[in-house]
Amino acid sequence: MRILSLLLLVPLLAAAEPATVIRPAELKQEPASDAATLATLPENTAVDALERKGGWTRVKAGAGEGWVRMLSLRLGGAATAKPGASGLTQAFNVARTGTSGTQTTTGVRGLDADQIANAQPNPAELAKLEKFAANRDAAASFATEGKLSATSVAYPK
Amino acid sequence: MKALALLAMLVAATSAQAQFRMPNIDINKMVDTVKNVGKAVKDIDEPEEIAIGKDVASRLLGAAPLVANPGLQRYVNNVGRWLAVQTERPDLPWQFGVLDSPNVNAFAVPGGTIFVTRGLVERMRSEAELAGVLGHEIGHVLRKHHLKAIQKGAQSALAGDALGHALRDRAGPARDKLIAFGTEMYSRGLDKSDELEADRLGVVIAARGGYDAYGLPSVLQTLQAMNAQDSALALMFKTHPAPAERLDSLSEKMQPVLDAYSGQPQLAERFVRQIRK
Repeated sequence: MRILSLLLLVPLLAAAEPATVIRPAELKQEPASDAATLATLPENTAVDALERKGGWTRVKAGAGEGWVRMLSLRLGGAATAKPGASGLTQAFNVARTGTSGTQTTTGVRGLDADQIANAQPNPAELAKLEKFAANRDAAASFATEGKLSATSVAYPK
Repeated sequence: MKALALLAMLVAATSAQAQFRMPNIDINKMVDTVKNVGKAVKDIDEPEEIAIGKDVASRLLGAAPLVANPGLQRYVNNVGRWLAVQTERPDLPWQFGVLDSPNVNAFAVPGGTIFVTRGLVERMRSEAELAGVLGHEIGHVLRKHHLKAIQKGAQSALAGDALGHALRDRAGPARDKLIAFGTEMYSRGLDKSDELEADRLGVVIAARGGYDAYGLPSVLQTLQAMNAQDSALALMFKTHPAPAERLDSLSEKMQPVLDAYSGQPQLAERFVRQIRK
């Protein structure tokens, strides 16, 4: 799984990801609505997205660096994919096939539409799945370790 | 109610015609047939929902097995079960699995089985993002979106009381048909409104579990940034509204909830540590 973890670090550490402002957005000094406004970015402004904190994304724009509401951005440049995303994934798959040798059934099994439609039962994997299930107590301790506390939040109407 | 209306029309028509010597219509038999169809749809109870779900889950696992990483599987089960406990169906036999596929997708199976693909997990950055996706899938199970679609489809695909047979006889041919149909549904997808509802529920469920509520929107932004032509995305994009539409819908309806719970933990470090094992 080491290659997988390397992949995970890419988005965390990558310096910048192209993004576009999809509605006029205030560029804030801090990730908070009451922070000082540095500029107002018009729709279609191209920026670089740097990191996310709650509902805010730090961006580098022509007008300077600051925070805009995350949902005011569309990630990905104009019609371009995140650089190398699928390339890295392909490299991962090749590496995985090479080391594990478990990918020999590719083309027969898989999660494309027709493969799902024609799938046959796999009781052995189902038994494994049941074995990994967590009970309520285990899940509660896991949450405590992560300093997660349950909160009451109503469903939207 | 459709069955009742149909029944009323049949009764009205038949009694009107009966005055004109309409021969040999067994109204009692007609009433029974209409009743049975209505009953079969209403009466998929929780044990039956769970049994159908296990059979469908087994088929999905036939399409892609679990990632051979017990630590990862247990981790995802802990996150998922913690979230499920925060809902109105806390004691379903919830089970979560990471499927060994490079495709980017996730599946909710009736009765509490949830799958996410390795391809999707690889693109996440934190436990809050995982929680948002699992919350979305849990939402489908809570509102029985797939079960209802299976019922609806089975009613037209299987004639008469065949759904009843499929539920009673787990080894019969009607059962096989029902499960095949239920599995195939994952290649066609749900109504758009079900997906948008599951997004809203997912945000709430992740927030209830104590996570940063922006986890799901964040994953949607990641998907938005990917090349839509990437074959790993094909089925997910075919069966879900576009990420932009889902983000707009969340922005329109969930901004207050998102902002109220945006300061909760993301647990990016724990996520990376667990995935690395």
